[in-house]
Amino acid sequence: MGRLVLRSLLSIIPVLLIVSFAIFLLLALVPGDPAVTLAGGLTATPAEIARVRAQLHLNDPLMVQYWHWLTAAVRGNLGTSISTGQSVGSQIAARFPVTFGLVVASAIIALVVGVPLGIVSGVRPGGSADSGARSFSTLGLAVPSFWLAILLVSVFAVHWRIFPSTGYTAISASFTGWLKDVTLPAITLGVGVGATLARQLRASLIDALDTPYVRTAWAKGGTRRSVLLRHAFKNASMPVVTVFGVQIGYLLGGAVIVEQIFSFPGLGTYMLSGITDHDLPVVQGVAIIFVLFQMAMSLLVDISYGYLNPKVRVA
Amino acid sequence: MTVATGDVGLLEGERRSLRGWWAEHQRLRRFLGHGGVLLSFAWVLLMIVFALFAPLIAPHDPNAQNLAETNAGISAGHWIGADDLGRDVFSRLIYGAQSSMQVTFETVGLALVLALLIGLVAGFRGGWLDFLLMRGADAGLAFPPLVLALAVVAVLGTSVNDTSFALAIVFTPGFARFIRGQTLAIREESFVEASTSIGTPPTRIVLVRILPNVMTGLVVGIAIALGSAVLAESGLAFLGLGPPPPAASWGDMLQEAYNTSLFTHPWSLVPAGLTIALTVLAFNTIGDSLRDTLSGATPRSRRQRGVKRQRGITAVVRPAQPIPAPAAQAEPDEPERGGAGPALLEVRDLSVEFQTDTGRVRVVDGVSFDVGEGKIVGLVGESGSGKTVSSLAVLRLLSSPPAQIVGGSIRFNGRDLLDIEFDEMRRIRGRDIAMVFQDPLASLDPSFTIGYQLIEAIRLHENVTRAAARDRAAKLLEGVHIPDPSQRLSAYPHQLSGGMRQRVMIAMALSCHPRLLIADEPTTALDVTVQAQIVELLCELREKEDLAVLFVTHDLALISELSDEIIVMYAGQVVEHSPTAELFGRPRHPYTAALLAASPGIRTEADSPVLIAGQVPQAGQFPSGCRFHPRCAYAEDACRTAAIDLTIAGPDRQSRCRRVEELTLAGVGSEVAIRLGADPVGAP
Repeated sequence: MGRLVLRSLLSIIPVLLIVSFAIFLLLALVPGDPAVTLAGGLTATPAEIARVRAQLHLNDPLMVQYWHWLTAAVRGNLGTSISTGQSVGSQIAARFPVTFGLVVASAIIALVVGVPLGIVSGVRPGGSADSGARSFSTLGLAVPSFWLAILLVSVFAVHWRIFPSTGYTAISASFTGWLKDVTLPAITLGVGVGATLARQLRASLIDALDTPYVRTAWAKGGTRRSVLLRHAFKNASMPVVTVFGVQIGYLLGGAVIVEQIFSFPGLGTYMLSGITDHDLPVVQGVAIIFVLFQMAMSLLVDISYGYLNPKVRVA
Repeated sequence: MTVATGDVGLLEGERRSLRGWWAEHQRLRRFLGHGGVLLSFAWVLLMIVFALFAPLIAPHDPNAQNLAETNAGISAGHWIGADDLGRDVFSRLIYGAQSSMQVTFETVGLALVLALLIGLVAGFRGGWLDFLLMRGADAGLAFPPLVLALAVVAVLGTSVNDTSFALAIVFTPGFARFIRGQTLAIREESFVEASTSIGTPPTRIVLVRILPNVMTGLVVGIAIALGSAVLAESGLAFLGLGPPPPAASWGDMLQEAYNTSLFTHPWSLVPAGLTIALTVLAFNTIGDSLRDTLSGATPRSRRQRGVKRQRGITAVVRPAQPIPAPAAQAEPDEPERGGAGPALLEVRDLSVEFQTDTGRVRVVDGVSFDVGEGKIVGLVGESGSGKTVSSLAVLRLLSSPPAQIVGGSIRFNGRDLLDIEFDEMRRIRGRDIAMVFQDPLASLDPSFTIGYQLIEAIRLHENVTRAAARDRAAKLLEGVHIPDPSQRLSAYPHQLSGGMRQRVMIAMALSCHPRLLIADEPTTALDVTVQAQIVELLCELREKEDLAVLFVTHDLALISELSDEIIVMYAGQVVEHSPTAELFGRPRHPYTAALLAASPGIRTEADSPVLIAGQVPQAGQFPSGCRFHPRCAYAEDACRTAAIDLTIAGPDRQSRCRRVEELTLAGVGSEVAIRLGADPVGAP
C-alpha cells in the first residue's frame, strides 16, 4: 500500500513540472511586454516597470526566469497581485478553506445522491425506480450548473426563503450558518456528479450481478443483502471510484461558477477577479493551486481504489 | 491478385471495414429507433439552422430595446416575451445559437484536428516523442477543465474564436489519449502489418488504414464533447467571459435575467436555461445511443419483456400441478428404482425457457432424474445439451430474466424446491445442497479474502462467532489439503493457483456438511494433472462425508471412474439413463455410442476417437422428430417426423431411441473397461 502511494506521488512530479511551466508561460503569451503587464499595464510608470523587470529577472533567459518563479512558488511565494498589491499566496491560503469546504460538501451530496440511485437502478434495471433514476441522471447531466443554481435560489431562497440566496459564513464562525450557506451551492455542484456516479454504478452493478462470483454467493446461501450490498456492490464500486476521480475536476471547475453565483470568497471568485482585472499573478497562482488540489484528490481516489481492489494493493 | 508496390490492395482490413460499413447500415435503423434520437437530431438541426440563418428567422432585432415592453409577457409580437430592456427573447435565443453553435463546433473540430495529430503521431511513432506528447496530455488533464479554459481565456481574451481555442485546448488531451490508444491497438493488427511489409508509406498507412478505424471509436466521444462544449460556452458567457455585448449568447441572457429579474420575474430565468439544457440533452442522447448501437447492446426493456424479474432465485411459471398419480401407475418417465423409498433428489419433467431477442426458447425440455442418498450421478453431454442449465435449475440459480422454469418439479427430501420462496431456498443452498463451479477464478469473489468467503459461508447458516468460524475455515482448508491453512485464509483468490482455488471452492461447498453436492464441470478449467488431483479429492471427501453428488461433465472417461449411474443429455432432453457399467458396456442410444467413440480417454472397439459429425443444434432450432437424427448414423425416415419418448430399455435403463430394440451399438470392450477400472485416470 505504501508503495502504491509512493508510485502515485512519483508519477505526479513530471506532470507537475510541465503544468507549472505551462502556467508560467501564460505570462509570456500575453501580448506586449510582461513587465508592463505586471506593473499594472498602461498606467505603470517607467520606474515601476524597471522594478518589476529586475524583481522577476525578466532580462534573463526564459528557463532561468522559470527557475526563479518555480523556486519561489515552492516556497509559497506566488507573487503579488497587480490590482491589490497583496500577496497572492496569503490570499489563496485565506480562501482555500472556502473552496475546500464547498467541494467536500458537494462530493458528499454527489455520493448521497448517486450511490442510492445507482443501486436502485442497477439492482432492478427496467423497473419503475430505474426509469425514474435514469431520467434524473439524464437531466442531471444536461442541466447546466449555473441554471440549476439560479433555479434553486429562485425557489428556495427567493420564494420559500429557506436558504440564503448568497453569502458565506466561515465554518469556524458558525457551523450551522456555514451549513445553511453551503447547502444550495453544494446541491448545485453535487447533482451533476451524482448523476454520473449513478449511471456508472448502475452499469457496473448490472455487470457484477451477472458474474460467476455473484452466482457463487447466491449458491452458498447468501441473503439478498449480503449478495447485493457486499459482493456485487464492492466489485461494482471500483469503476465508480475511477469515474469519481475524473469527476473531481468537474467539481473544482464548477466551484468557480458556483462561488460566483453565491458570492463565496473562494478560489474561484479570486480567479475570476484576476481575469477581469487582468491580474495574471492571481490567475497563475490560483491555477496552480487548483491543479495541486485536483492531484491531491486524485491521489486520495487512487488510494481508496487500492483499498477496494486487492489486485492493485497486493501486487 | 497483383499488388503493386505502394499500392493498397484489398487486404483483410478493407474487407472488414466493408463488412463493418454494411453492419453499420443494419445498425442505423436500430440507432434511429432509440427513444429520442430523431428528436435530438431535429433539435440540433434546428439550432444549426438558427445559427446559420438568424437574421432571416428572427422576428426582431435582438438588440432593439423597447422600454415600453419591458418584461412583456407572451404575445403575438413576442413569442416568448421580452426581457428587462424590452428586447425580444425569442430573437435573442436565435442569435444566441450563433455563438453557441459556432463555438461548439469550432471547439470540437479544432480539438479533433489537434488530437488526431498528436494521437496518431504518438501512437504510430512511439518512442520519446510518444512519451513527451503523452506527458503533455497528462498535464492538460491535470487541470480542472474549466480552470484550464479560464486560464487560457485570461490570456487570449473573450472573442468567439478565442473561446473556441481555449475550449479546444481543454478537449484535446482526452481525445489525444484515446486516439493514441486506438492507434497502438490497430498498429499491431495484421492488416496494418501487412501494409507495412509490402512497403506502403507510413503516412498512407495512417491515413488509409488507421484513421478510419480510429474515427469509428471516436464518434461517441465527439457527440458527448459537443454537449460539454455547449455547457462550457454558456458557462463562460454566464461568467461574463463570453463574446462581448451586444452579441446575444444564451449564458449571457441567463446572467442578465438573474441579475435583473430574479425577484420580480422568475419566469425569465427559464428560456435561456432550458435552451441550453435541451441542446446538451440532445447531444448526450445522440452520444448514448451511438454508444449502445456500436457496442451492440439492445435496449434492456425489450430484451426482458415477459419474464418477471427476481433477484437470486429463478422464476417459476408452471401450469397448475396435477394431483400426483397413484404410485401403482408407473409412468414411462419414472426412472426404475426397484421399489426403494423416495430418492434424495427427484427431478421430474423439468423444463426451462430463456427469453431471447427472438422470443422464448426452451433449453431444457422435460428432464427427469434421481440422485439417491450417497450416490454419484453423472450428467453428461456436449456443450449446449442443457446439462449445466438443468443443474443450476436445481438450486434455482439461473437469473430471471432471462431464465424461467416453466414446468416440472424438483423434490429434495420430499419438498418441491419450485414451490418455495427465496428465504427458504437460500437456507437450503450451501447447507443441504452445495455447488462447485467450473471456473474457480471467476467463481470466487476477487475482492474478498478466501477466509472472508469461507467464514461467510459458515455464518450464513450457523450461529457461530467469527473466531469459531475462522477456526473451522482453517480446518476446512486443511481438509482439502491446502498447506498453511490459517495463513492462506488471508490470501485473495488471485494469489492462489487454479488447483488451489478449486480446493477452496470445494472446502466452501462442504463447509456446512451438505447432503448433496452439485459439481458443474469442476475440472474443466484446470490443467490435466490438477484435474486428477481434484477428482481424487472429491472421491475422498465423498467417502468421508457420505455425500450424494450430481457430477456434470462432458468427460466420459472421467465420469466412468466415479459414478453409479449416468444420464446422457442431448438438445435439452435426456436421451439415455443407465447404470455406469451397463452404459459403457452397451450403450442403448446412438448418441451415447457416438460420445463414447469420440472420447479421447476411452478406447472403444472402433479404436481411435471418431468425432461426431455436425454440431449440437441451437436451442430454439431443434430439428423435428428425434433431435439427434441429423447426426445419427442409424436415422430412418420415421426418426425425422414424430417426437420420440423415453422408453424402458432394460433393468434400470431408459433410452430415447425408436430403434433401441433393433440396434446393437458398440460399447467399450470388456478388457478396456477393466483396465479403466483398475487404472484410474487420477492415479499418478
